[in-house]
Amino acid sequence: MFPGSSRRLHGSPDTGERVQPAALQELTAASGREFPQLARARRSTSEGLADRRARLGALSHQPDVAVVLMGSWGRFELTSGSDDDFMILVRGPEREQVAPSIEQVGTVLDKAPGDQGIFGKPVYSDQIIQKIGLERDNNSNLSQRMLLLLESVYATGAAVHGSVREQLIDRYLDQSVKDFRPPRFLLNDVIRYWRTICVDFAGKEREGPEKWGIRNAKLRTSRKVLFAGGLLPVFECARLEARQMAPFLRSQLDMAPTDRIAQAFLNHQAPDPGGRALGAYDDFLGLLDEEDFRAELESVTRESSKSSAAFSEAARLGSELERGLSALLFETSLYPLVREYGIF
Amino acid sequence: MGASTGYMSDLRGDWVAQIGRARELSPFVIELSVLCEEEVLGLGRYLGGEPSLPFRYLSIHGPSKGRVMSERELVDELVRLSPWADAIVMHPDTILDPAPYRALGRKLLLENMDARKHDGRTADELGRWFELLPEAGFCFDIAHAWSLDAAMLAGHELLDAFRTRLRHLHISSLSPQCHHVALTEEHEELFGPLLARCVDVPWILEAPPREP
Repeated sequence: MFPGSSRRLHGSPDTGERVQPAALQELTAASGREFPQLARARRSTSEGLADRRARLGALSHQPDVAVVLMGSWGRFELTSGSDDDFMILVRGPEREQVAPSIEQVGTVLDKAPGDQGIFGKPVYSDQIIQKIGLERDNNSNLSQRMLLLLESVYATGAAVHGSVREQLIDRYLDQSVKDFRPPRFLLNDVIRYWRTICVDFAGKEREGPEKWGIRNAKLRTSRKVLFAGGLLPVFECARLEARQMAPFLRSQLDMAPTDRIAQAFLNHQAPDPGGRALGAYDDFLGLLDEEDFRAELESVTRESSKSSAAFSEAARLGSELERGLSALLFETSLYPLVREYGIF
Repeated sequence: MGASTGYMSDLRGDWVAQIGRARELSPFVIELSVLCEEEVLGLGRYLGGEPSLPFRYLSIHGPSKGRVMSERELVDELVRLSPWADAIVMHPDTILDPAPYRALGRKLLLENMDARKHDGRTADELGRWFELLPEAGFCFDIAHAWSLDAAMLAGHELLDAFRTRLRHLHISSLSPQCHHVALTEEHEELFGPLLARCVDVPWILEAPPREP
């Protein structure tokens, strides 16, 4: 077993102990870079989770339903401007009545999104697990599945959330999986999702310039963390026998994406690039938490971006993050795997 | 990896030609080197024309010789250039008053100096500059570090001290007069362990590539 594959968080992540992350702390020790904004965001997430769990737990739940928080909640990166993106997750097939309802959960959460988005309806595990690929696997289905897998945390229904993620991992690790090779089915879907995000960014821009700046800045930063946080564990599977992959992926996906990335930098002897890459991301999170900075990003358009100091800084930090991740993929012992499996 | 236009003395003053030559080496990274203040103004006029450039990382090396402008006037010109640049590199020994340079924020990089200079050479000396300019990043000139200590321990000390600030690297060998010359095979091997710590940042050649 390769170094770190058995490393777990200190206790269950569900208790909010991602505030004391093993991998990020080890990266600080190895690189000399501290991550105060990530630490603060994780504290905010844990405190917010405790609050949401108490409030949402008071709603009547069917036993096969979970309320799952996504986005910055799932990355454990809550900032003052974060939305309460949530999914009503139902284990099993589609049905008429689901409790709690979207409306009930929306009244409990402070900044719930509208009911028009991809989480405006309950998500049924049979849909996202069984309908992978082909025409039935539309954009919403892909997004729901990937976000559940890569950046989600339960607010209620821990067992439902855990078991659906487990079934999803098992679905990806089907008969095609081979010892000491990354699981191609999952690898292709993770890469497909990242490229879909990028293509959809262009599609949204054609619909209108609103929020171009903040979307672009997130594409350069948090979306890359989401992608890398999924890609790296899949590549790491190449060091394992097929039977070891499911428990490994479960343990990785229980970690915050930034912990998965920190661990990869450590495993591949690149602590300094890791410190700089996640340091840039840490700086970005700190700026995003500043009201003026976020407001400027939200108002920036493609045309005004060249004169925006906030956008320029977000772009610079995004480039530093990308250079670090590229170095990890192309300048370390990961490179042969990336060359062999990353493109074709 | 990319080129510094600093070694293209035969093309000095012609930004189009310098950039064209740098692009032959790499279309991704470049350092536009302005040796004197007059060139700062010329570069401003060139970049103000919004040329279409392919580079994903563009650094500007501030003047290190022939200073006439006041510190504030020079920094004002550099601030005007900064929207086009990812980084603006300065030699600390040319800075008389650090205060105006704070206007460059995180785009300002301080470079470690060679053994001929009297300041900014070692981790201790450079550390004092970073105390005065806390937002500044670090440009690691590996040949300058070699000029201090051919065993490269001074280089490791610089990286140990400023690795979290590291933003890009200058690569070359040095002549006995401390002029940048093409990286020798011997130095490439000697610098290897330090280079391995910098695989994520742009590498900028301060002398033409070695002849094959």
